[in-house]
Amino acid sequence: MFPGSLMMGAKERLLPPSLPYRFFIAAVVFHMAAWATLLAAGPEAVLGFMGGQGLVLAALHMITLGTLAMSAMGASIQLLPVATRRPLGPLWAIRLMFWLYAPGVAVFVAGLGLAIPGAQHLGGALAVAGLTVFGGLVAANLRQVGDLPGVTRYTWMAVVSLAALAVLGLGLVVDFTKGFLPDHGAVAVTHAVLAGYGFMGMLALGFSTVLIPMFVLGSAVPDKLAKRSALASGIALTVAVVGVASGIGAVAALGAVLGLVAVGLHAHALSGTIKSRMKKRFEPFFRLVWVAVVLLPLGLLVGLALALGAPADPWATLWGFLLIFGWLLTFVTALLQRIMPFLASMHSSSLGGKPALLSRLAPKLPVDIHLACHTAALVLIAAAIIGGWTWPLWLGLVAGLAGSIAFGGFAIEVIRRYRTHMNAAAAANHEG
Amino acid sequence: MQTQTGALLHQAHMTTIEALQSLEEFLGANRKSPQVDDLVARKLKQLSRTLRSEVESHFSFEENHLFKAFVEQGETGIVTMLTHEHRSILPLAIQVADLAVAAADAGFTDASWGEFKDAGAELIEREIFHIQKEEMGLLAAISALLDPEADAAMADTYRSEVG
Repeated sequence: MFPGSLMMGAKERLLPPSLPYRFFIAAVVFHMAAWATLLAAGPEAVLGFMGGQGLVLAALHMITLGTLAMSAMGASIQLLPVATRRPLGPLWAIRLMFWLYAPGVAVFVAGLGLAIPGAQHLGGALAVAGLTVFGGLVAANLRQVGDLPGVTRYTWMAVVSLAALAVLGLGLVVDFTKGFLPDHGAVAVTHAVLAGYGFMGMLALGFSTVLIPMFVLGSAVPDKLAKRSALASGIALTVAVVGVASGIGAVAALGAVLGLVAVGLHAHALSGTIKSRMKKRFEPFFRLVWVAVVLLPLGLLVGLALALGAPADPWATLWGFLLIFGWLLTFVTALLQRIMPFLASMHSSSLGGKPALLSRLAPKLPVDIHLACHTAALVLIAAAIIGGWTWPLWLGLVAGLAGSIAFGGFAIEVIRRYRTHMNAAAAANHEG
Repeated sequence: MQTQTGALLHQAHMTTIEALQSLEEFLGANRKSPQVDDLVARKLKQLSRTLRSEVESHFSFEENHLFKAFVEQGETGIVTMLTHEHRSILPLAIQVADLAVAAADAGFTDASWGEFKDAGAELIEREIFHIQKEEMGLLAAISALLDPEADAAMADTYRSEVG
C-alpha cells in the first residue's frame, strides 16, 4: 500500500457505469427539485426559516440527502476501493443501498414538505437503512486499510458522524409528532453540524487529499500533514458538537475556532501539492472549488459569531446557507463536473478503440451557465438573508434553479455523448 | 517512497507537460496560420524532439521493461490501460512532430496549420490525461512492486535506452 495510488488498480475496480451514475443522476434531479421547491415556498418562508416542517425543510433535505449525500455515496463507491485498493463489497449491496436510499429520500422529503408523519417515518427509515448499508460497506473497506491516513482517518470520522446524525435525525422526525426531545432546536443544530462538517465535510476533506493531487498533477499530500489536519478536524468537530449539544456558547465558539485552525492545516497540507503541480493552468471545475474554499471558513466565522451571541435571525439562516449551499453544494457540483466525464472516459475504451476525449464528453456551456447562476444565487441569497430583502432572494432562487437546470443538462449531455461514443465503438467492432 | 525509476519518469513527464503547455499557448495565440520566424522554428523543432522522445523511447522503455515487471507481479489492469493509450497517442504525437518539423522548415499553410492545430489539441488532452494516470498510479506503484535493487537496475536500463 502506498499513498497516491488512486489510479493503480483503477481498471480492475471500475464499477459498471450504471452504478455510480444512478447516484449522480438522482443527485442532479434532487438538485433541481430543491431549488424549485424553495421557489414554491417563496422568499418570505425562506427568510423566516428557523426549522420546522414545510417546503423549506423539505428543500434543505433535497440538497443534503438528495444531492450531497447521494453524490458522496456515488463517488465513494467508485473512488474508495480504487484509493484503498480494497474491494468495497458485492454489487448487489450497492444496488440495494441505492434502492433503499433514493426512494427513501423522495418519500421523506415529500413527508417533510406536506407534513405527513407516515411518509416522514417510512422515508426516513428507508433512507437510514440505505445509509446504514453505505456506512457498513465503507467501514468494512476501511478496516482492511493500514495506511492512506489522508483518506481513511477522515472517512472514519465521516462514518461515525453518519451514525450519530442518522440517530439524531430519526429522533427529530419522531419528535415532530411525539414531542419527547427536551430541546428540539439544540438537537437539530447538532444534527446539522454532524451532517455538514462531520459526514459531508470529512468526506470532502479526505477525498480532496487524493483528488486534488491527481487533477493538478502535483505531489501527494505527505502523510504527516494529512494526519495532523485530520486530527485537528476531529478535535474541532468533537468540541463543536459538545458545544452546540450542550448549549454552551463558549465551547461551540472554541469548536469554530478549532475548525478554522483545521481548515488552515488542511490548506497548508494541500499547498505543497498546488505549488508542485505540473499543470500550471487549473481546469474549469476549479472555479467552483475556489468559491467553496472561500465559503468554508466564512461559514465557520458566521458560526463563531452565532456561538458568541449574535442573533439567530439572520445569522443562523446565513450560517446554514453558507455551510450547505455555499461550501458543500459548490464543492460537490465542482467534483461532479469533473468526475462524471472522467469516469465516462475511463469506461469509454472498454469496447476497444480510442478512449473518448474529456473535452468531447463534457459540454462547456452548461457548466459556465451553472457557474454564473450558482455564484449569483449565492451572492443574492446571502445578501437577502442579511438585509431581510425578499426580491433579491427571489432573484437568487431563480438563478439557483436556472443553474441547477443547466447542471442537469450537463449531466444528460455527458451520458448522451458517452453512449454515442460506445455505440460507435460497438459498430466499429461489429464491422471489424 | 521516491524511486530512481519513478524520478526519471517524472522528470520526463515534466519535460513533456512543459512542451505540451507551450504548444497549448501557441495554438491558443494563433487563430490563423502564424508566421514561422527563427524563434518559432526553434520551438517547433524542440517540440518535435520532446514528443518523439516521449512516445518512442519513453513508451518503449515502459512497454519493454517496466510493464513486464508489473505483469510479473500480477498488476495487469493498469498495464493494459496504459498500453492501450500508448497505441492511440503514438501516431498522434508522430503526426504533430512531423508537422512541426515541416513547418519549421517551410512554414504553415492554412491547411497544414488546421491539421497541426487539430492534432495538437487532441494530443495535449490525451497525453496529459495519460501522464495523469501514470503519475498517480504507475510511479507510486513502482516503490510497492520493485525492491531497491530491481529499481536501480530498471533505472540503469532507462538511462541507457532513453538517456
